[in-house]
Amino acid sequence: MRRIRLLWAWLGTLFFAVVIIFPVYWGVRTSLVPNANLDLIPSSITFEHYRALLAAGFLNNVKNSLVVSLGTVQCTLPIALLAGYALARFDFPGKRYSVVLLALPLLPAIAVLVPLILYMRTLGLYNTLRSVILASTVFSLPYATWMIRGFLLSIPREIEEAALIDGCGPMRALFLIDIPLAAPGLIAVGIFSLISAWNNYLFSFAFTTKRTLQVVPAALLGFITAWGENYGGMNAAAVVAMLPVLIFFLTFQKWFIQGMLAGSSK
Amino acid sequence: MPLALRLRRLWRRAQGQALPYLLLSPLVVLLLAFLAFPFASLIYHSLRRTDLSGVSTFVGLGNAIILIREARFLQNLTATAIYLVGNLAISVPLAYFAAVLISSNRRGVGVLRTLFLIPWVLAPIVTAVLFKTLMNPSSGPITNLLKTLFGHPIYLTLTEAGSRALIILHSAWRSFPLEMLLIAAGMTSIPGELYEAAKVDGAGVWKQFRYITLPLTRTSLFSALLLISVYTIQDAEGVYALTQGGPGYATEVTGVRLFKEAFLYFNIGLASAIGLALIVLSIGVIILYLRILGEGERA
Repeated sequence: MRRIRLLWAWLGTLFFAVVIIFPVYWGVRTSLVPNANLDLIPSSITFEHYRALLAAGFLNNVKNSLVVSLGTVQCTLPIALLAGYALARFDFPGKRYSVVLLALPLLPAIAVLVPLILYMRTLGLYNTLRSVILASTVFSLPYATWMIRGFLLSIPREIEEAALIDGCGPMRALFLIDIPLAAPGLIAVGIFSLISAWNNYLFSFAFTTKRTLQVVPAALLGFITAWGENYGGMNAAAVVAMLPVLIFFLTFQKWFIQGMLAGSSK
Repeated sequence: MPLALRLRRLWRRAQGQALPYLLLSPLVVLLLAFLAFPFASLIYHSLRRTDLSGVSTFVGLGNAIILIREARFLQNLTATAIYLVGNLAISVPLAYFAAVLISSNRRGVGVLRTLFLIPWVLAPIVTAVLFKTLMNPSSGPITNLLKTLFGHPIYLTLTEAGSRALIILHSAWRSFPLEMLLIAAGMTSIPGELYEAAKVDGAGVWKQFRYITLPLTRTSLFSALLLISVYTIQDAEGVYALTQGGPGYATEVTGVRLFKEAFLYFNIGLASAIGLALIVLSIGVIILYLRILGEGERA
């Protein structure tokens, strides 16, 4: 009976491992061989698809993606930290409306984007990376604020109260006590926002028309419709898009998972 | 008490009360300006028709009436419903199976959890490229596998039923990790004695699952269903990257239609009306799940 169970567990694990790894493996493989090659394990590899990407100016898209995702984290963290601190440590009229922050990420970004395009035009931000950073920040803020609020709530209030009695102001308490103690949580929020921003194509697609301003996923969407059967090229771009995410996720997975659970269960 | 001291105290108290609002103000200003205001103007634009030169005229419910009378929009909603039901029917059983695997106390389950989460972490456009490559009609390994299995070629990307299956498989592959994570979190709160007692009473694996695991993970299951349903209803990028809504309008889900109207045809009025429909649909689904969950808890 025990043996049969163990067998099932192994079979199940094998099934999931194959179903998850094979598509990723096949994509990496396809990016490293000539398009006609269909070997499961190719005997030799080529970087021709990556060279073609470089020649098409893909490096520029990578740079844009870095600017946008780092910019998003840089704007999101301070704003979410201050707001999360207010929600975790103060009682004030109107506080109960903060649950709205949990509902906002459930609304379709793509719908609100239509008027936002006209908006960015009026603000003179259309066709700039700043508009992409701005929108990306706005859409990551509700979740980030809620997560930081949770992390600050898990710090015992007494530590901060002791400091307040000793004459430390609330802002100094935030910087000297809460931030160091909540550092792992802040890192989790940062990584979560970074990966979400890196993966996002929509804001870049909506606010920029020039190819030179597009982020990696937006450029990838262009390749899908433009390149048709060039699977090697498409997958090379896909590998560039997923490699940083995989490295980041595997390195910081504990914090990332914490972030996922913090936002969806409470 | 001297007036100056009194004033200073009053000032300090006001400061203390104002501080949380001050801290919240950057967040609130940004959300009002870039979420609430666009949302309000979405309603405004949905009542108007804007042509390419930017001239906008009031048409009232004109856009809504166009959509209601249109066979294509009905097809969009049907495609969305099929997409949602198909996705849940495949991803939820997978998620339970995976959750059981990562909840056991064998060695190495931590690695499994990380591995199983990978589909969720990757961008939908990236995974769409991976799936497109697997199923491509000329050289995809899945296409070749199906050919060997059934003796004749089956092209998933070229037929209506095939494309529907393709987008459903893709989104189920992407959805099960989050469902698994939430369900597994629910499973950790089930006391082990329950299973011990069930085993003593002679309940098999299926009965244990049916009468212990399933009812006790109900809340986590519903939060997973809620999140995945909302994401699936709103999805545009995964489907657009895989099929562009084709062949015909077979896989043109509501999100893809919105994407096309807004970004390819620049039909702002109709796009806004579809956007509103999508918001109403999402809110409807949220209310439905919360209500079912609430009733279950009262019963």
